[in-house]
Amino acid sequence: MTLRVNDLSVLLGGVTIVREINLMLEAGEIVMLLGPNGAGKSTLLKALSGELPFQGQVAMAGRELADWAPSQLARHRAVMPQKVDVNFPLTVEEVVAMGRPRTSRGKPDTIIDRLMTELDIAHLRYRMVPGLSGGEQQRVQLARVLGQILDASGPRLLLLDECTSALDPSHQQLVMEVIQRLAKEQGITVLAIVHDLNLAAQFADRLVVMQAGRCFCEGGAHDVLTHSVLKAVYGYRARIISLPEGYPLVVPLGSGSAQMASGNPSCRQAS
Amino acid sequence: MIRDAAGRFGHTPALIIVLCAAAAVALLSVASGAYPLAIPDILKVLGGREANDPVASLVLLEVRMPRFLLGFLVGAVLAVSGALLQGLFRNPLADPGLIGVSAGASLAAIMVIVLGSTWLGGWLAFAGEWALPVAAFFGGSATVFLAWRIANRDGQTQVATLLLSGIAINAIAGAATGLLTFYATDDELRSLTFWTMGSLGHAGWDELMIGAPFMILALIVSPFLARPLDAFLLGESVVGHLGYPANTVKKAAILVVGLGVGAAVAVSGLIGFVGLVVPHLVRLVLGASHRVVLPFSALIGGTLLVAADSLARIVVAPAELPIGLMMALIGGPFFLGLLMRRKVV
Amino acid sequence: MRGRMLLIALCWLIPALVQAEPMRVVTADGAITETVYRLGLESMLVAVDTTSGYPEETQALPKVGYLRALPFEGVLAMRPDVLITTEQAAPQENLERLAKAGVQVETLPMAWTPEASLERIVTVGEILHARSEAQDLVAELSSEIRRVQQSAVNRGSRPRVLFILAAGNHSVLLAGQDTAASALLDAVNAENAVTAIQGYKPASREAILASQPDAIVIAESTPGQFDISNWQEVAHLDAWKSGHRMVADSMFLLGFGPRLPEALDALNRVLPSGTAVVSDDS
Repeated sequence: MTLRVNDLSVLLGGVTIVREINLMLEAGEIVMLLGPNGAGKSTLLKALSGELPFQGQVAMAGRELADWAPSQLARHRAVMPQKVDVNFPLTVEEVVAMGRPRTSRGKPDTIIDRLMTELDIAHLRYRMVPGLSGGEQQRVQLARVLGQILDASGPRLLLLDECTSALDPSHQQLVMEVIQRLAKEQGITVLAIVHDLNLAAQFADRLVVMQAGRCFCEGGAHDVLTHSVLKAVYGYRARIISLPEGYPLVVPLGSGSAQMASGNPSCRQAS
Repeated sequence: MIRDAAGRFGHTPALIIVLCAAAAVALLSVASGAYPLAIPDILKVLGGREANDPVASLVLLEVRMPRFLLGFLVGAVLAVSGALLQGLFRNPLADPGLIGVSAGASLAAIMVIVLGSTWLGGWLAFAGEWALPVAAFFGGSATVFLAWRIANRDGQTQVATLLLSGIAINAIAGAATGLLTFYATDDELRSLTFWTMGSLGHAGWDELMIGAPFMILALIVSPFLARPLDAFLLGESVVGHLGYPANTVKKAAILVVGLGVGAAVAVSGLIGFVGLVVPHLVRLVLGASHRVVLPFSALIGGTLLVAADSLARIVVAPAELPIGLMMALIGGPFFLGLLMRRKVV
Repeated sequence: MRGRMLLIALCWLIPALVQAEPMRVVTADGAITETVYRLGLESMLVAVDTTSGYPEETQALPKVGYLRALPFEGVLAMRPDVLITTEQAAPQENLERLAKAGVQVETLPMAWTPEASLERIVTVGEILHARSEAQDLVAELSSEIRRVQQSAVNRGSRPRVLFILAAGNHSVLLAGQDTAASALLDAVNAENAVTAIQGYKPASREAILASQPDAIVIAESTPGQFDISNWQEVAHLDAWKSGHRMVADSMFLLGFGPRLPEALDALNRVLPSGTAVVSDDS
């Protein structure tokens, strides 16, 4: 078991943002966090990435987070924040290399080359990051984050907060395929926040839906992406089509009805 | 290969150019001055032999040498402090002068001068000749810490707040300095004018012995912060994600800046803009990685200050311009230009 | 190249010629510079400081900066045999270095009484090997001073004088106790109307009105600096209206140099006589 979360709660300024979350993540598993804005997804991720204090237990490979040495933990847990602003003239290569452990001088780092090629940023290698588009910057940050844990041995955890939000559809597919392959081939565990339900349906092994700081439900795409869950959590009406590829397709049915639905008290039944 | 694939200067050619410039400026600084010295005399003195001009060895060894060394150290420390603050605050406009660190350090120094005979007599008796630099160090560190506390909300540095708090800190320190000036005796006033203008005019081995340990310590510690400071450029949270102890790094950087700027202010008064201009220049030509920015800032900052000082004592010879004035003349327009063409800085 | 050769040659020759060459003197204090001129020894002067603006001829000499920030090399470059300055000179390090470099550094005490001022003239004369000339000058000056002081004593009263230093464009400083201004007033049997201030402090307009002086003296650091139209409260004072006032150069008034008798005389003339004081006050 790569990650075990027991009874995790996060209090910020006297308000409980995340309450009593229990999670188990196996090696090579891709788990995606769904839920409306303000549901506590990012707060949960920040607690798991060591940015926020929390109550409860979080263990990686059976060892409490607090018992890890920070530098050691960084080789086993990588975090991609929602937004990384770079104001200084750093090149793509320099930013990607920041995630890499210190190497002996002069030895070319093949992992940097590999990641940049796979994420389609090799041609940007010597460009300044602040001049790149949002999607390009996102791929640069992802390459940095992946490089941090790629060649470490033992359990590895990847925490992603909306890592595809700025990408065009083809790059979304490319990036998710890279992540999926790394998970399956290398046994990297992935916990990702996504808003695109179809991307989640397509790539996640398991979906966790959060609402108002709690875990609303959890399971495979077919179990979670149902009319009732979508209605209850998002107040969202959709047609759900089961695709021959083996995962469901969610087709939204207009925003007018969505607003109507959000006013419907029956949606709050679960909370 | 002068330029690398990113269109930036290669580090090795840049290092060679900078070292040549530093050597040239060192030569200029030691060989030039209001007092004319013949080249053979200079060579003789530097070679340890008796010169024809009996005062040559005094001028060279007691005045120009310590002045050159002190100028170089002060320039290096101010530039490195600027680079550290800019990395820490993730903003290229942070500068020890701009955010009030220099003013805080000089206020502490002025307090020692004016109140040394009365309220701070105990401190003066306790710390002796170290009273001034140590007080300046505490003044500088306290100001960095204050600016940090004010400008940081939820792990994000509010740059506007930082600069505004700098204005306020400068104003308060200026007012307190003015108040002390008002109560200063004539004698104390004489020492005060030097602080506000910035000068290397009195530099000697004594000043060097007192200021150098602090400044050299600051210069030695700073490279160890290079890697985590690079991570700071991506955001404070990323520092932790990459496994660096963000809080320790922050505190270390604040201490180094307080130590360096405090000592620099203690021996040379207020010299602005080195910390702003030099790291910016280095980033423009060599990139933003602190492993490059810190050492090159030190070299170029030292070179620039010594060059400005040499100029300051040549242009109106036999009188001298205050070096602080000289740097403001160079740095002010540069800063304005920076603000005007601010796209990706 | 030839210049350098010449320079080296000069360096060799100077020690040999020192006896025959006239003394090379740098003065860093306006009053001391005046003294050198008054003694007719200005040919010895190779440079002066920025406080030395009188007489006109000083303009032609190189300036080594402000006496409170004397540059070591700047002074040394003038190759002076003697630097004559006052206790105000700074930084101390540079004075010590100059002495080490073989310059005879003379820091004279501040002179705030006619006696001290005359004594300083003798000292300057001695330093420049012109003792008898200095004594002649002192004899002449001291008889003039005595004459002025006698008439001041004869006045029979000690008028209170407001002394203003106009140093900047829009601000003026009031001279308080323990200043050269106070000392000057004392020398002509007058006293400072401002008692609550030590040293020179920025003038409060109300303090000016409250001082109710018998006479007003305004010392300007540059001519025409004091503009009475900006200072209505000064114009309102009885002393101003009745003409018991003078505006003069600050170096002339406060230098305590060889122009001291003239300064005392000019000051004494604007002071009201004993009877007039009483009527003005009422």
